[in-house]
Amino acid sequence: MLEKRLLERILGIAISTGADFAEVYCEVTRNGGIHLINGEIDDISDNTVSGVGIRAFLGTRTVYASTSDTSEAGVVKCAVSVAEAMGDKSLPQNVVIREKIFPNIHPVSRVPFDADIKERTDIVHEACSAAREYDERIVQVIGGLSMVDHTIWVANTEGLYTSDRHLRSRIMVNAVASAGGENQSGHCSPGRGMGLEFLTLFPPKDVGREAARQAITNLTADYCPAGQMTVAIENGFGGVIFHEACGHSLEATSVAVGCSPMRGKPGQALATENVTAIDDGTIPGAWGSVNIDDEGHPTQRNVLIEHGVLKSYMIDRLGSRRMGMPVTGNSRRQSYRFEPTSRMTNTFIDNGPDKNEDIIASIEYGLYARSMGGGSVDPLTGSFNFAVDEGYIVRNGKICEPVRGASLIGTGSQILMDIDMVGQNLDTAQGMCGSSSGSVPTDVGQPLIRVSKITVGGR
Amino acid sequence: MNFDEIKKVIADAAREAGIEQYDVYYSTGSSTDVETLNDEISNFSSSVSGGLCFRCLVDGKMGLASTELITESEMRKIVAAAADNARATEKLAEGGFYHGGGTYGKKNAPEYKPLSAAELKKLALEIKDKIYAKGDTIAPGTQTGTSTGSSTVRIFNSFGVDLENTNGLSEAYAIPVVKIGDEAEHDWDVQEINDKFDMQKLVDTAYEKTASRIGAGYVTTGKYNIIINPETMRGLLSTFVSAFTGKSAQMGLSLLKGKEGEKIASDVVTITDDPMRPGVSIQATFDAEGVPTYKKNVIENGVLKTLLYNMDTAKKQGIESTGNASKGGYSGAVGTSPFAFCLEAGKYTEDELFALAGDGILITELNGMHAGANPTTGDFSLGSAGFLIENGIKTKAVKEFTVAGNFYTLLKSVVALSDKVDVGISGGATTFGSPYVFVGQMSIAGKQ
Repeated sequence: MLEKRLLERILGIAISTGADFAEVYCEVTRNGGIHLINGEIDDISDNTVSGVGIRAFLGTRTVYASTSDTSEAGVVKCAVSVAEAMGDKSLPQNVVIREKIFPNIHPVSRVPFDADIKERTDIVHEACSAAREYDERIVQVIGGLSMVDHTIWVANTEGLYTSDRHLRSRIMVNAVASAGGENQSGHCSPGRGMGLEFLTLFPPKDVGREAARQAITNLTADYCPAGQMTVAIENGFGGVIFHEACGHSLEATSVAVGCSPMRGKPGQALATENVTAIDDGTIPGAWGSVNIDDEGHPTQRNVLIEHGVLKSYMIDRLGSRRMGMPVTGNSRRQSYRFEPTSRMTNTFIDNGPDKNEDIIASIEYGLYARSMGGGSVDPLTGSFNFAVDEGYIVRNGKICEPVRGASLIGTGSQILMDIDMVGQNLDTAQGMCGSSSGSVPTDVGQPLIRVSKITVGGR
Repeated sequence: MNFDEIKKVIADAAREAGIEQYDVYYSTGSSTDVETLNDEISNFSSSVSGGLCFRCLVDGKMGLASTELITESEMRKIVAAAADNARATEKLAEGGFYHGGGTYGKKNAPEYKPLSAAELKKLALEIKDKIYAKGDTIAPGTQTGTSTGSSTVRIFNSFGVDLENTNGLSEAYAIPVVKIGDEAEHDWDVQEINDKFDMQKLVDTAYEKTASRIGAGYVTTGKYNIIINPETMRGLLSTFVSAFTGKSAQMGLSLLKGKEGEKIASDVVTITDDPMRPGVSIQATFDAEGVPTYKKNVIENGVLKTLLYNMDTAKKQGIESTGNASKGGYSGAVGTSPFAFCLEAGKYTEDELFALAGDGILITELNGMHAGANPTTGDFSLGSAGFLIENGIKTKAVKEFTVAGNFYTLLKSVVALSDKVDVGISGGATTFGSPYVFVGQMSIAGKQ
């Protein structure tokens, strides 16, 4: 995007007033979307994001500037603003960068934007028609296909100059069921760090039917009772429980500044022995995978918790400086407008020792959370909340009637010690995680787990 | 390229492509932010941004494409892409583009005066010093910050509409971490930096909010009288505001569909949308389609007076646009949203309102609204924190409970409102405001 000569020049400017490190991040991203409402393609979006972010460090002090003006004058002005904010010394610097190529472990066979637009609109029609046809009480279906073609270049004053191209695709169906003046909704939105070949894993008809099934189930459900219960949380998006309750507290963003209950606890038992948790940005074609992170480090598999014992954190370059620990390939950002920070990639609780049928059979009275919604957490205290999108009462070891409107609240440190059974059907699901460096794609995942007691919000 | 050059290139490209009706939405902005962590400036950031969206009608359908690459070749590319997208779209664009001729109001917000980097740094450090002056309980992780920024929107279309609006604001925040024994908590407060900026009040509020969380107890499961504080009610309004749009109603995603003219809330509930509400810094005399904006009562004494419409959804409804077309940024389709969406004040002082509730809970926090609240059904079940109300007085802090209810039911059950609207700082297209709201009884799930 920017010539090597220009990158070297602006890196030199950025450290010319006393900074000990500088980095340039360039981006060109094409975002495409197709949206269907009321059986018609409602709109098609096509947006190109293009810009440059320049960051400088002096110890743990950082200066960041970004611009959408990628002309030479525009990026030089941006670099000058970084230098002026960093200090008032005059230390002319020569910077030399050398290209480094990392292997592409996420090859794509069908680039979404290369497909005919009719093929792409037909995919959305197929998914939404299947939802409509599932049940006559389905009164509205909203569907979509999103495609991202994201290319980055990273150069820094340590001589690194590298780039990566990352594609991802996602199909979404939201179905609304209505009866007796009441609405309930269901959704399904699988995605992958792939091109359109990901639809062989998720046939559009299946996606539509799953969204409709959930809406119809909730239409017939009564409100969930409230109180403390034993809860079995199903695989896939159930992993949001670890993502929110523990994952954010293991990011250097929180740990390095003292805002995490997990700080200073490596080697300590934070969970039951059944729990092994991993963040792995190298899984081929996974939603949260990338070849390199947004500082140019290759992603890696990080075992965060092993048999209950805290093993590592997720650390970006600034976190590394603050914590005195190595980077882990977790630096991410939504776009050039955001300064990167430590973020999760694909984070999951690994398979455990318990058979799934034993987990349900062990519950005398409780809640089976088949499908979780999103949630949020306060990283300082670990307090979290999750929405349950599809839940059932469990009585005498059997899954019984559906219930709706449930939520789960607690603290990360407590729930880790209360996960007393871990099943064997590990699966992942896709989400967009929001934090200080914007919204990034992350996979969450787990097998079926049992939490011995947790507060269930309901009525 | 300057804006006149952009207009010329777009007009030429559209003419060559045989496109007769189009509009352009061009947004530019800049901002500067300073942040302190613990006892020093930890981060300084600035940004310059700009992007352009081209929309056109082809075969009666709307197509669009957008970009941040402001070059002649890219302008020509998005004109062609928008035309292709229009052809592949199936929905007929009923509203079209604004033909002009309306009367625009006048903004009353004070003129935006950007702060220099030096001023931002000085203020952030002064706030930090005042926080640390609170004593030894201030713990690592404490942050303060200041920022200043402005954005300009320009719209022009093939009917000669040519408009420009610039807004800007500066703000300061404090996020103290307070640690007593093994217990650490944080909370925050934010204020606009303007003639009324009160740094000591900012620091005192942030500190008191945080310190009051230490030692919070738990509540037992049951039904309680509930008062929601303004900040939390603004969050609820923000979560459910999409239910008030014509688009949601027409899509069957709002239970307010077909309810215009009907009683949907308690008598004391009036919600207004005023694009030029006095005291609000972000104002607009025209919406994202160039239509003049105006003040309207959305709910008046419990009766739903109007939903919010843009050109397309209004045409479908057989009415005029309410001037509520919106865009989240320069890219994407035109949606609908209010400008300053405020639940108006009632007649009680805060003390009188608490006395009216007697015993119950003051809700000061609802978490995870993006996931635990459903605008389609109105249902919500959310993690919460707050304070007990005992004999009409706010007393002990309580935490880790959930509040479950339904937004539409809540509107009907509002018993009384305090007499002052607390308007938040705009975080996007819409500013929200609310007084304290006594909503009667709600279900709480606690630890016991």
